[in-house]
Amino acid sequence: MEIPVYLFTGFLESGKTTFIQDALEGDDFNAGERTLFLLCEEGEEEYHPSRFFGTNVFFETIENEEDLTESNLKKLQEKHKVERVIVEYNGMWGLDSLYQAMPEEWMTYQEMMFADATTFLTFNENMRQLVFDKLKSAEIVVFNRCVRGGFDKMAFHKIVRVANRKNQILYEYGPDDVEMDNIQDPLPYDMNAPVITVKDDAYAEWYRDINENQDKYDGKVIHIKGRAVVGDEMPEDNFVFGRHVMTCCVQDIQFAGLVCKWTKEAAKFENGQWVIITAKVKVESDPIYAGDIGPVLYCTKVTKTEPADPEVATF
Amino acid sequence: MTKVDIFSGFLGAGKTTLIKKLIEEAYKGEQLVLIENEFGEIAVDGGFLKDTGVQINQMAAGCICCTLVGDFGRALNQVIEQYHPERILIEPSGVGKLSDVIIAVQDLHNDQIQLNGFTTVVDAKKCKMYMKNFGEFFDNQVENASSIILSHVDGLSQEKLDQCVELLRQHNQSASIVTTPWDQISGEKILETMEQKKTLSAELDRLREEAYAEEAEHEHEHGHEHEHHHDHDHEEHEHEHHHDHDHEDHDHDHEHEHHHHHHHDHDGHHHADEVFEDFGVETTHKFTKEQIQTALEGLQNFAEVGQVLRAKGIVEGEDGQWIHFDYVPGEPDVRNGSAEATGMICVIGAGLEEDRIRELFGL
Repeated sequence: MEIPVYLFTGFLESGKTTFIQDALEGDDFNAGERTLFLLCEEGEEEYHPSRFFGTNVFFETIENEEDLTESNLKKLQEKHKVERVIVEYNGMWGLDSLYQAMPEEWMTYQEMMFADATTFLTFNENMRQLVFDKLKSAEIVVFNRCVRGGFDKMAFHKIVRVANRKNQILYEYGPDDVEMDNIQDPLPYDMNAPVITVKDDAYAEWYRDINENQDKYDGKVIHIKGRAVVGDEMPEDNFVFGRHVMTCCVQDIQFAGLVCKWTKEAAKFENGQWVIITAKVKVESDPIYAGDIGPVLYCTKVTKTEPADPEVATF
Repeated sequence: MTKVDIFSGFLGAGKTTLIKKLIEEAYKGEQLVLIENEFGEIAVDGGFLKDTGVQINQMAAGCICCTLVGDFGRALNQVIEQYHPERILIEPSGVGKLSDVIIAVQDLHNDQIQLNGFTTVVDAKKCKMYMKNFGEFFDNQVENASSIILSHVDGLSQEKLDQCVELLRQHNQSASIVTTPWDQISGEKILETMEQKKTLSAELDRLREEAYAEEAEHEHEHGHEHEHHHDHDHEEHEHEHHHDHDHEDHDHDHEHEHHHHHHHDHDGHHHADEVFEDFGVETTHKFTKEQIQTALEGLQNFAEVGQVLRAKGIVEGEDGQWIHFDYVPGEPDVRNGSAEATGMICVIGAGLEEDRIRELFGL
């Protein structure tokens, strides 16, 4: 039997408890299903089960991240014979600890992240990895305690969008005063130009977009700077064009590249040589993509150049 | 020699505000370098520090996962090379362990560095909640602190404040704790407390010295000065033996015994019967002058409380003014004075009945 999991994440005092309490008081979310409530964090707000619409909610407290094991969770599920699970997660724990411990029949139906707009930017600067971790997989991100006109919506929007391009962002100004984020994110280059010129600081966005929306780029001509990786078992006229990209922080820096076809000159490059390429994109299968379909860059021009500054590309 | 002070505490606890206050009021004239490894809500910016001559080095790694040690050690050594400051203030990331920072400094084995103070700023309103949910790193910051400075104390109920101090004491017995709202107390006073110059045990020591000094003077007035001196020397020998003996028993003694014998050894000139007990307590409770007056009158009742030779204290008044008091038998003195880091009451005497004394002060 599939057990739906409703997962609520965010730091202390971000409004999780208040939201969940409200939800459980309504008959649309709580018609009396037997529910296991995993409480991984205990803030100032407390639950009032007497006000819940349905009465079959069983609270269990998880004190330590290490206690999240499959056998523990399974035991709790069986102990209360529940049909679904609600998790109020601890903001200082990595989400992986939960995902890895979830029994097979548990399915995440919804993941919501809450954040206090008054502390979010500071938390993000100082605990980037923990914030990023929660933003990455949340379907909805709710910013509480926003002040209309008194905060820089764009700063919040950008932080969320680096981690997740599709989730819904809500700004809450007060009870029943919620605004949906509908900020469009124009690409930092002109998609319709005869030659699309990507600036050095736009590499990370370009790379993500061409991978997520490859068909959009099929047949387009790109002019861009990066590094040539040669050797291994690649054909002599192939190289991998890419750059190191940092998404969250120094620990996740990865080389992000695409297959390039050129002439045999390619084999003469020193590994890692900085180059500027002009290339036509063809979406096709390639051995380097392990036979999968991906954007392949057919170069018409490749010239050596100086490294980009900074060398690591960011969003 | 460069003193190194570390300021830990979770995000939003008020580390930067505290550092600003100390720079303005306590570190005046010192050549300082501030190393920040956190991106604060209130940046300690160049504008504010221009006149103070403080050098700021901000380290880029404000992220829990980025390793502190390599870059941090290099930055610290570089700062010492370049500026030879008298003091370096380190504001590490609020989500790191304090012990990691201490170890990182120790591991430099730089003999120009003197690790001076480990201060942890704790938001009094959120202490309990953080302790419950954050686990290890928060406990670590409290446990390794040499002083704990409470922030956001204003508007907190007495009950909550007591609870907070008790919780901190469960994790750290020895740190000096500042409980007074920062706008009521000077940076100098906070620094005194941070550097352990004005702690309960320091106050008790001072008060005991006074009592001893008076006793000595008393004997002096009574003459036989020379003879006494001879006797005294002689007795000192005996005394050594006496001391050794006591020392063996020491584990069975209680704290007070320990206190006074320990002290006795230091001085070496007192007769065994001149040894005093002490009773000291830190408190965040608020008092009225009348209440203190009544309590001091109660101290005269030696049948109830023992023989009190001296008492001294500084406590917060209900009206927000601080109350200072001194007591020698028959001469209570209660007045208003400047605020302290936390309230404290010290009593020196013989045969002290702690519980009764606590009762007198309503503790």
